[in-house]
Amino acid sequence: MGLRWYHFALWGAFIVGLALLPELVSKGTLRTIIFANYLAIFAISWDVLSGRTGYISFGHPFLIGIGAYTTAILTKRFGVPVEVSIPIAVLTTMAGGLIVLLPALRVKGSYFAMITLAFMELIYQLVQVVRPDLTGGTRGMSGVPTLTRGAVNGFYLSAFLMVSVALTMWLLMRTRLGTALSAVGMNEESVRGSGLSATRLKMVAFLLSAAIAGLGGAFYIHYLGTIAPRALFEINFAFTIIVAALIGGASTIIGPVIGAFFLTFLLEYLRPYLPGAERYLIYGGVALLLYMYQPRGIYEVIRQGWARVRGLA
Amino acid sequence: MTQALSITNLVKRFGGLTATDDLSFAIEDGESVGLIGPNGAGKTTVFSQIMGEHRQTSGNIHLYGEEISSLTTAARIRRGVSRTYQVPRPFSEMSVAENIRVGLMPDNIWRMIVEGPNTERELELALSVGFAESDLQRTPAELSMGDLRKLEMARTMATGPKVMLLDEVFAGLTVGEIAQIGDLIQQMRGDGMTFLIVSHDLKALEPLVDRAIAINYGAMIAEGTFTEVIDNEAVRASYLGGVA
Amino acid sequence: MLQILIQGLLLSGLYALLAMGFTLIFSIGRVLNLAYGSYLLIGGYVYFQFSQVMGMPKLAGVALAAIVGVVMGIAKFRLIVKPLKGDHVAVEISTLILAVVLQAAVVLVFGDSSKILLPIIPGVKWLAGTAIPYSNLFAAIASWLILIGLYLFVRTTHTGRAMQAVSMDPKGAAISGIDSDRVNMITWAISGALGAVAGVFFASYTQLYPGMWVGPLIIAVAVVIVGGIGSIIGTLIVAHIVGFMEVIVSAWIAPELRGVFTMLLIIVVLVARPRGLFGREEL
Repeated sequence: MGLRWYHFALWGAFIVGLALLPELVSKGTLRTIIFANYLAIFAISWDVLSGRTGYISFGHPFLIGIGAYTTAILTKRFGVPVEVSIPIAVLTTMAGGLIVLLPALRVKGSYFAMITLAFMELIYQLVQVVRPDLTGGTRGMSGVPTLTRGAVNGFYLSAFLMVSVALTMWLLMRTRLGTALSAVGMNEESVRGSGLSATRLKMVAFLLSAAIAGLGGAFYIHYLGTIAPRALFEINFAFTIIVAALIGGASTIIGPVIGAFFLTFLLEYLRPYLPGAERYLIYGGVALLLYMYQPRGIYEVIRQGWARVRGLA
Repeated sequence: MTQALSITNLVKRFGGLTATDDLSFAIEDGESVGLIGPNGAGKTTVFSQIMGEHRQTSGNIHLYGEEISSLTTAARIRRGVSRTYQVPRPFSEMSVAENIRVGLMPDNIWRMIVEGPNTERELELALSVGFAESDLQRTPAELSMGDLRKLEMARTMATGPKVMLLDEVFAGLTVGEIAQIGDLIQQMRGDGMTFLIVSHDLKALEPLVDRAIAINYGAMIAEGTFTEVIDNEAVRASYLGGVA
Repeated sequence: MLQILIQGLLLSGLYALLAMGFTLIFSIGRVLNLAYGSYLLIGGYVYFQFSQVMGMPKLAGVALAAIVGVVMGIAKFRLIVKPLKGDHVAVEISTLILAVVLQAAVVLVFGDSSKILLPIIPGVKWLAGTAIPYSNLFAAIASWLILIGLYLFVRTTHTGRAMQAVSMDPKGAAISGIDSDRVNMITWAISGALGAVAGVFFASYTQLYPGMWVGPLIIAVAVVIVGGIGSIIGTLIVAHIVGFMEVIVSAWIAPELRGVFTMLLIIVVLVARPRGLFGREEL
């Protein structure tokens, strides 16, 4: 896999840094970081599907929502313990991933992106009208069992999840599978022409992405304790996930993590100066400029900067 | 001798247009055959049917005696037939080494994960088509047309074919590069590779083939030794755009 | 029955208008302008500001909305689409970000709460036990007039034919001496105007709030893609299929389910017939 000493050093420093955070920052900041951690998980999930294979999903909350609703309904309505409900939620979301795969077998590009948007809108409408006694209808659900109490525990759980997902995916994407998935994004015909089943590779990407989305969605809902369809199946939420992955750096693992932290903290640090809606205007504006300046994201900016520094030295 | 590739009564219609018109031919194992014809004669369409990129309207395609028409492209490649494209299609953001790596991969997700890349074989293939070791980390954006064709050859060879279909391998190449690719093909012929080669560069093609087939409007118009075929009246007329 | 027919026609006319500006960009620029919804949003609010708050004549409000739409369309083309040089994914993502930014801008200026637009023409006509607000009738008729005008423009004028040429084959059009930048800019301008005007009608049909752009965007997308890219007639027919389907589902099954059927229609048609029902485009 070409692991080098500095890979271990960087991952080690990252994990130690996260572990020490509760000692260094306030409870309020810690709560912000919890959101950044979950956003990072969702962005990694989006990136496996869209960043690698080039099938841009505008409806990623569809998958996250399946995981979230499955575990919320199982635990709250049927009293299933979370140890059972979360794995079921992950499996259900993977089944959802296969549903998203169906159109990807026939259509590409903008058409696929639109179908995913339709999927999100579809599930948003469905949870409100089909069995509202289970889903809580338009108002959603509250009182979903939470797993942790307090900001510190919530932080450790979310950080553990985020690091596990990031590290697993980082290792996996360094294998030939990662190369093959990226190849699908660059030229699907050539992947077939190299004797590989592009369909099977897409299926792997979609299943991986769905598994991460389901896992993240389920834990997120057990952190929040409430589920609201209007906030979950929202284009702004989809937007935040996509932008986190892109301005961090698509087709990398650390990129979406950087992007998630960058966005969350940008929003948070604007709060004292711009308490109102201006915040979102600046936040979106910064995202737009950054994206248009460097579509490969902050990761690429850092990489080029580092290369320049080394070039001078 | 065994037949490596045989095509029987192949027909392909796109709407009202007949791109392949009742075409039949066979290639023996280890043989090299030139497929010639004027622009739009349907040469590339024959390739894409052999590879399963287009499904034929009727007719059969056998590879070493097995009917492969119902197989996917990937499955056909695993059975030993592979092609290059007129317009090279590299993976644009990957290095030369990674491009070849994709060709070398087994079509098995588990093995992709647990087995590392075979960097020696990557290097060997790159060197065999005429790259230098220092070229391995270059990306397609930095390569010339000649280099892109070499890369396409290397990736096709990486899939481990027994039969190779080469589509206009000499187009856009310098004289030196043509000689280099020609030597490579000669060497592979010596090693027993079977070839079906499409080229407009008849001079470069002649030494590389045992015999030739000429088609026009998707139908065979001549078959025989290279000289016989290019001296054939109908072939000459087709190149001049006349009606045979 | 007559009730469904009337309501269906009214809604379908509105949907056709919504979709038309979108189909222009998609078939000519080949890009998915996800910020199309923001023309509707801004158009609605411009009309609200000038006609309802400042009391200008209603027609002037609609005209101003259209002008703002034109300016937005040109700005989007010059500042986003052109610099990204036809990178479709980048354009889609940038326009999505832009849509969210514009939504934030609207919240900033007008606040988060919904506004009720007064009908453009007050009054109601009763026909066969159905209330037809004059406003909706006016919207439907205006939609039809605009659509016929657009059809004639694309079919008969020099610029319109240049648009068709660019849509079919940008390279061929360039070789024939068509300035595709100019054609694109005109297209983005018209699309902006159509979107903004559709926004005024749509807002008066439902209500005006900062998130109102998503629903119509999805309907526009559905109509355009299901109808087939580049087919004005296809767009028109599918706008009626969607409009009638929603009215029928609301009346006979359940009003809450109307959106579900629209989404299912897009998904099923796109998976089964990627070119849409009337499209000519290869994917």
